[in-house]
Amino acid sequence: MNSLIWPFLLPILTALACSLAFGLPGVGRRVFVALSAAAQFVLALFLAVRTFQGEGVPLVLNIGGWSASLGIVLVLDGLAAIMLCLATFISLICILFSYAETPVRFEQPLRLPLMQLLVAGINLTFLTGDLFNLFVAFEIMLVASYALLTLEANDQDIKEAFPYLAVNIFGSALFLSAAGLAYALFGTLNMAHIAVRAAEMGDAFSVKLVVVLLLVVFGIKAGIFPLYYWLPNSYPILSFSLGAFYSGLLTKVGVYVILRMLCTVFPHTLDGIYGMLSWLAGLTMLLAVLGALSRDFIRGILSFHIVSQIGYMVLAIAFFTPLAIAACIFYVIHHIIVKSSLYLIGGTGLFYNRSDSLARMGGLAAASPWLAALFLLQALSLAGIPPLSGFWGKYLIFATGLEGGRYWLVGAAVLASILTLISMLKIWLAAFWQPAPEGGVSKPTPPIRAMTVLAGVMTCVSLGIGFGAEPVFRLSRVAAESLMNQSQYQEAVFSRLGKEAGQ
Amino acid sequence: MKSVNSFMLRALIGLVFLLVNIISIYMLLRGHNLPGGGFIGGLMTGMSFILLGLVRGWSELQRELPLPPLRMAAFGVLLAILSGLAPLLWGQAFLTQFNFHWTGLPLLGELHVGTPLLFDCGVFFLVGGITVKLVIVLARSTSGLPAFTPGETPYYASTLEGGIEETANEEGDAHAN
Repeated sequence: MNSLIWPFLLPILTALACSLAFGLPGVGRRVFVALSAAAQFVLALFLAVRTFQGEGVPLVLNIGGWSASLGIVLVLDGLAAIMLCLATFISLICILFSYAETPVRFEQPLRLPLMQLLVAGINLTFLTGDLFNLFVAFEIMLVASYALLTLEANDQDIKEAFPYLAVNIFGSALFLSAAGLAYALFGTLNMAHIAVRAAEMGDAFSVKLVVVLLLVVFGIKAGIFPLYYWLPNSYPILSFSLGAFYSGLLTKVGVYVILRMLCTVFPHTLDGIYGMLSWLAGLTMLLAVLGALSRDFIRGILSFHIVSQIGYMVLAIAFFTPLAIAACIFYVIHHIIVKSSLYLIGGTGLFYNRSDSLARMGGLAAASPWLAALFLLQALSLAGIPPLSGFWGKYLIFATGLEGGRYWLVGAAVLASILTLISMLKIWLAAFWQPAPEGGVSKPTPPIRAMTVLAGVMTCVSLGIGFGAEPVFRLSRVAAESLMNQSQYQEAVFSRLGKEAGQ
Repeated sequence: MKSVNSFMLRALIGLVFLLVNIISIYMLLRGHNLPGGGFIGGLMTGMSFILLGLVRGWSELQRELPLPPLRMAAFGVLLAILSGLAPLLWGQAFLTQFNFHWTGLPLLGELHVGTPLLFDCGVFFLVGGITVKLVIVLARSTSGLPAFTPGETPYYASTLEGGIEETANEEGDAHAN
């Protein structure tokens, strides 16, 4: 059976069912969407198990029976399988969280279908093996994200959302021109085929030009240093459930595509570009964490942290050794879970204090010791305190950096970690430690308990990554090796063998 | 935007509507190997409805539409996906095409009947529906009406929200920064 298309089709069909059969919000629709999200997660796990049983050899599906480079292929390798699992898991948790966040009668009717469409776009981005199809997947994802961003926005929010829209539309236009340039240069848009042609061209300037153009495009999506200013102001207008989803996944899609392009598609000899990326990554970490220190509401602080953490991942990519790529994948796994759960914890805090502005928060540690414990665990994990998951991610990145003699960059990364810890302490002191504000703290209602449980589930997963760092790192290693192994990828895409394995 | 008050236009619009749609369906059917197809056909049909709305007024157009346009678009996507899924029943890959080549037709000459045509029809409904919906919303809000009719509102807005036109000048900074 062709199972590779289903991670894309299931969310689309769910969104369609939401708009055709159950157009209005209701309990039945909520249950249906939650079941579908759970099914998507199970499917992703199943695909991941199959991929890793094959030691990360990519599974390939030729859509419409057209073989590669003529037709469009979907490719699932180790990294894509990991990302699929994470995306569907986060979407499941965020959908459940949004149920607790909004009562049924106040739910925005378009929110669930759009969330499913967003998941469909993200899943297709992970699966596609074709540059133009990647563009289409990005568009599905971005159009859904534009709509979700402004769904419940007032005019102030729309002002903040505008840069997001403008920058990303510019990015899409640039992507389209880069894809056109790539087609003119390589005569194909299939990634495996581009890899063959690019290897033949060697160090040609034109190849570098295409790489730089594509890096600018994906740098916009990922939020790398000069291109991130759209992010920290636009994410805070989202509700916490959507914020958790956006912050966990959308920028990481950019990181994923950068990994895919540099490791699988283009030759591994672009040293100048790696050097440039590493300095940009260092600047991203430092400047964004300073931004986080300057904010005084939870969503603002967390939004800046997204950018800062992207710096670590890009830094790992820029070191560009197999170990560094594995470290990057490990870091992505750790980061998606931690970031989303911090958002969820912040969202729960919002319901206790009826505000997420630090000046008006307080007393959470007394009101809910569990929530305080969860926050402390995740904040320390984000900062990188052993033995939590963040420590292992950072340790691996620092180790490869020191091995390569990049002392300044490692120093910057350590400094950024300390500043991260300080800004997390800021939330801790203001929201959890200081006495309750005048209005007091809400009593824990059933929705608040449900939110705490969901944040707890995420924290448990994160703890699992921290304490089970070795198996998770082994998975990242397998994924990184198959990601760097261009000939294996090409063989899988072009041969009958790979095709049958995917069917 | 008020409807145009011209007798000639009102009398002829029905004919124009019919002609545009005949050409649009012709475009849809010839699209297998020639320029045309669902996207172009859908755009033309969408345009024909826009003409109708310009002449007769948007509220009347909305009353007369057989199906809410967005529902038609969703139906189109469903049709396209189902036409892609059908080959799975026979163990073929997603979107594998099955055709029956029908020759000797008047006007068209030949017609490929099969899953690609179904897919194209899906695109036709999607593009047509979205075009009509977009233009209706824009036209209604430029003519001072709320973007959605009272019957539609529950499908697009939560009970907490007012129209963006109403809340535009209220103070609403939730972050207090």
